[in-house]
Amino acid sequence: MELRGWDEFEIGSVLFSFNEKVENIPNVQQEDRSYSENNSFQASVAHWRVEKPIFNVDHCIDCFFCWIYCPDSSILAREKEVEKKGEKIMEQSMVGIDYVHCKGCGVCSSVCPTDPKSLLMVDEHDEEERVLANWPKKEGKEK
Amino acid sequence: MAEKMELHEVEVWDGNMAASHALRQAQVDVVAAYPITPSTPIVQNYSQFLADGQVDGEFVMVESEHAAMSGCVGAAAAGGRVATATSSQGFALMSEVLYQAAGMRLPIVLCVVNRALASPLNVNGDHSDMYMGRDAGWINLCSYNPQEAYDLTLMSFKIGEDLDVRLPVMMHQDGFICSHTAQSVRALDDDSAYKFVGDYIPKNPMLDFEKPVTYGSQTEEDWHFEHKARQHNDHMNSFPVIERVFKEFKELTGREYNLVEKYHMDDAEIALVALGTTVESAILTAEELRKEGIKAGVVSLRVLRPFPFIQIAEALKGVKAVATLDRSLPGGALGMLYNEITASLYHSEHRPLVTNYIYGLGGRDMTIGHLKEVFKETKANADAGKLTVPIQQFIGLRGPKLTFY
Amino acid sequence: MSKEIKNLKEYSKAAERFEGAHLLCPGCAHSMIVREAINATDSELVISSGTGCLEVSTAVYPYTSWDVPWIHIGFENASTAVAGAEAMYKALKRKNRLYQPERDVKFLAISGDGATYDIGFQFISGCFERGHDMMYICLDNEVYANTGGQRSSSTPIGASTTTSPSGRVSYGKKEKKKDIVQIMAAHGSPYVAQVAPNKWKDMVKKLKKGFDAGGPVFINAMSACTTEWKFDPSDTIDVSDVAVDALVFPLYEIENGTKLTITYRPKNVLPIKDYLGLQGRFKHLMKKENAHIVEQWQKDVDAKWEYLQRREEAGV
Repeated sequence: MELRGWDEFEIGSVLFSFNEKVENIPNVQQEDRSYSENNSFQASVAHWRVEKPIFNVDHCIDCFFCWIYCPDSSILAREKEVEKKGEKIMEQSMVGIDYVHCKGCGVCSSVCPTDPKSLLMVDEHDEEERVLANWPKKEGKEK
Repeated sequence: MAEKMELHEVEVWDGNMAASHALRQAQVDVVAAYPITPSTPIVQNYSQFLADGQVDGEFVMVESEHAAMSGCVGAAAAGGRVATATSSQGFALMSEVLYQAAGMRLPIVLCVVNRALASPLNVNGDHSDMYMGRDAGWINLCSYNPQEAYDLTLMSFKIGEDLDVRLPVMMHQDGFICSHTAQSVRALDDDSAYKFVGDYIPKNPMLDFEKPVTYGSQTEEDWHFEHKARQHNDHMNSFPVIERVFKEFKELTGREYNLVEKYHMDDAEIALVALGTTVESAILTAEELRKEGIKAGVVSLRVLRPFPFIQIAEALKGVKAVATLDRSLPGGALGMLYNEITASLYHSEHRPLVTNYIYGLGGRDMTIGHLKEVFKETKANADAGKLTVPIQQFIGLRGPKLTFY
Repeated sequence: MSKEIKNLKEYSKAAERFEGAHLLCPGCAHSMIVREAINATDSELVISSGTGCLEVSTAVYPYTSWDVPWIHIGFENASTAVAGAEAMYKALKRKNRLYQPERDVKFLAISGDGATYDIGFQFISGCFERGHDMMYICLDNEVYANTGGQRSSSTPIGASTTTSPSGRVSYGKKEKKKDIVQIMAAHGSPYVAQVAPNKWKDMVKKLKKGFDAGGPVFINAMSACTTEWKFDPSDTIDVSDVAVDALVFPLYEIENGTKLTITYRPKNVLPIKDYLGLQGRFKHLMKKENAHIVEQWQKDVDAKWEYLQRREEAGV
C-alpha cells in the first residue's frame, strides 16, 4: 500500500480485514473472499525464500501433516475432483503451495512421511519441471 | 432493564456521588474500575446502584488501575459506552493505557478526582495527576463543585462519543474539597439525562463480526507521525462540538458552560487564572476587592485540553496584569498555566504582565487571605507597569521565601 | 461451537482466519499454534495479543494478518483487554444491543511467556479470579524472543540467553522454570492444560474442551523457537517431538483446579540429553564441567513425571 497523508486513513490506526461484509468466514475459502488492501494476504514474503518447496502429487497420500504444521498458511488444501473406483468424486486433497506466502522454512518437507517425499526443498531458482523430472526414488527405510 | 431512580429537584450530593449518578444515568455498558482515595466512593456508589438493580451494565472490579483502563479499552473497542474513575497513583499506573485509549480513538469517560502524586505520599487534592495526563491525548474538562461534576460528566459522553471527535474524556474534580463536600445539586431526571446523552453510536466495533477490525496495530517511522497528527488534528478541532454540547446543555438546564470561564472580567484590570475549587474562592475574593475599588476578575479553563489558545488570550485581553495559579509543581519548570497562558498572550496586542503562583500542594489550604495577597501583588504589577515580584512564588509555604526568576 | 475434528482431512477444510505474509520467522511454532487454535472452532473469535513476536509480526500497519476482530494494547494486558471485550459482550447481550446476536462468540487472549509468566501475570490472575468466559493461550518459547532473547521466568535452568549468557564462569540461567500450569490450576479454573503443536490431536481435543468450558481457560503451548533455541527452521516439529518425548513438556490437563490427567505417554521416553543436544542454547551444557546441570535437570524431569502420575492416580 502506498504511503498516505495524515487525513487519508481511518482514525485510530485500525485496519479492516475485508472490503465487504462477511459471514461464516471459517467456511469461506480464501479465493472466495474480498480481502482489503490491508490484509497481509495481499502482501508477499516470497522474497524471504532461499529455498522453496516443490510438491509432487504422485507421491502424496493426503496426510495433511504439511497443512497442519505450515507456519505460513501456505499449504493449499481444497476439495478436488478425484477418481475412486471408476467414479469421479470431490475429495479434500493437498493441491499445492501458496508461493506468495511461503517463506521456505522447510517444515512441510521435513514432516512429509512418504518415501520418496512428496515435498522437497530446492534452490529458489530451480525450475519445477526439472525438479519433478529428477525426483528421488524410494529410499527404503532409513538407518 | 435497570430500575429508574426518583430524584429530588435538589439533591445533596458530594462530587463523587454526583459523578456516580451521571454514570448511572448515562447507562454505561461497562465500568472497569479499581478503588483509590479520593475517587473510591464513585466506584462504591456505582456498586450499590448495581446491587439495587439500578444499573444493568457490566461492572468489572479489576485488580489494578492499569487493568481498569486496559479493560475499558478492550470494552470500548468491542463497541459500547465505557467509563471509570481514578485518582493520583492509580492515574499514574494507568498512564500507559491512557495514551492507548486516545490513540485508538475510544471515547472512554474517566472521572478523575484530583490528588497529589507521591513521593512523599499524600491523599489530598492537588492537580499533579491532571498535569501528568495532560499530554495523553484526552479531552480534559474541569469542574469546581458537585453540580458541575455532574453536569460535565454527562456532557463528557456526548462530547467524546461524537463522530467528529471520538476521543476519550477526563472530567476533573478536586479531591475532597469537591469530591467529599456535599452541596446542592440539581440533577436531571433519569429519562432526560439519558435522552441528553443519547444512545451510544458504534464506530468500528470489534463485536461487529461482519467487519473484522484490527485495533492496536504497530506503526513505525513510515506511518506513526501521520496517525498522531490525525489524532491531534481531530483533538484541536473538537472545540465546536464541545461548544455545541455546552449550548444544548444550557438549553436543557439553563446552566451555562464556556471553553474559558470569565468572572467579573468586563472591566477587570487584573485577573487570576486558576482551575477547580480555587476558582470559587477567587471569585469571592474578587468580589470583596471590588468593594475596595480594585477591579479584580477571575478566569478559568473549563477545557484544559484541547487548550483554548485563542479564547484564553481573548478573555485576558483587557487586563494589565495576570497571576496564574498552578496547583501542581511541574518539576524544574514554571507552572503549566503560566507557560501555556503566557504563550497565548505573547501573540496578543496587549501582552499583560504575568506571574506564577504555586499553591495548595498535597491539599494545603488556599484561603481568601492568600488570594487577596495574590490580587494585591498583581495590582502592584499593574500599577507599576512592570513586575514588582519574582515570576514564580509559593503560597502558604513554610521556611525562607522561595522564588524563581 | 467448537468442532469435532477426527482427522486432518477434515481439519484441513477450515478456511484460514490467520493469513500468511505475517512477519514471524520461517519455521516459527507460534503461527502453528495460532492456526491450530483458530481452526479448531467455527465460532466467531475476538482475539487479543500482548506485545511480543506474534503481535509485532501480525499487525504492522498497513497490514493485518487477522481475519477476526483483534486487539493489542500493551505487553501485560492481553488478558484484561479481551476480558473487557467479553464484559461488553455480556452487557450488550443483556441490553439486546449485540450487533449479530445469533452468532456464537469466543474470547481468546494469546501472548508469549514473558507476557504471561512475568509482566502480565497479575492481570491474568485477576481475570481468572473474576471468571471471565475466555481462553488464554501462552505461546511458551521460554524467552523474550521479540526483544532479542532475554531470559524470562519461563526460561529453564542452564539456558544461555542474552541476559543469562553462558560464559567462562557461568552455565547460563541459574533458576528453574516457573510452573505456570500448576499456578493457573490453583485458581480453580475449569480447565488448564499444557499442549504442544506437534501433537495436534491432543491439542485440538484440549482446545475443544477449553472452548466449551465456559470459564477462564489456560493453555500453555510449547512453542519451539528456531531463532532463540537455535535450531534449523525446518526442524521445529522434530525438536518439539523430542521435547514431548523427553518429558520436558509433559502433556496433561487439570480440570476444576484438581483433576489431573496425563494425555500423552511417550512409548519411548528419551533422555533429556537428546533434547538439550538439539539446541544451540544448551550447547555449553554438553561440556564436562556442566554435566551436573544436565544430571540435575534429568532428576527434576523424572520427579515431575512421577508427581504428575501420582496425582493422576490419586485423582486429585
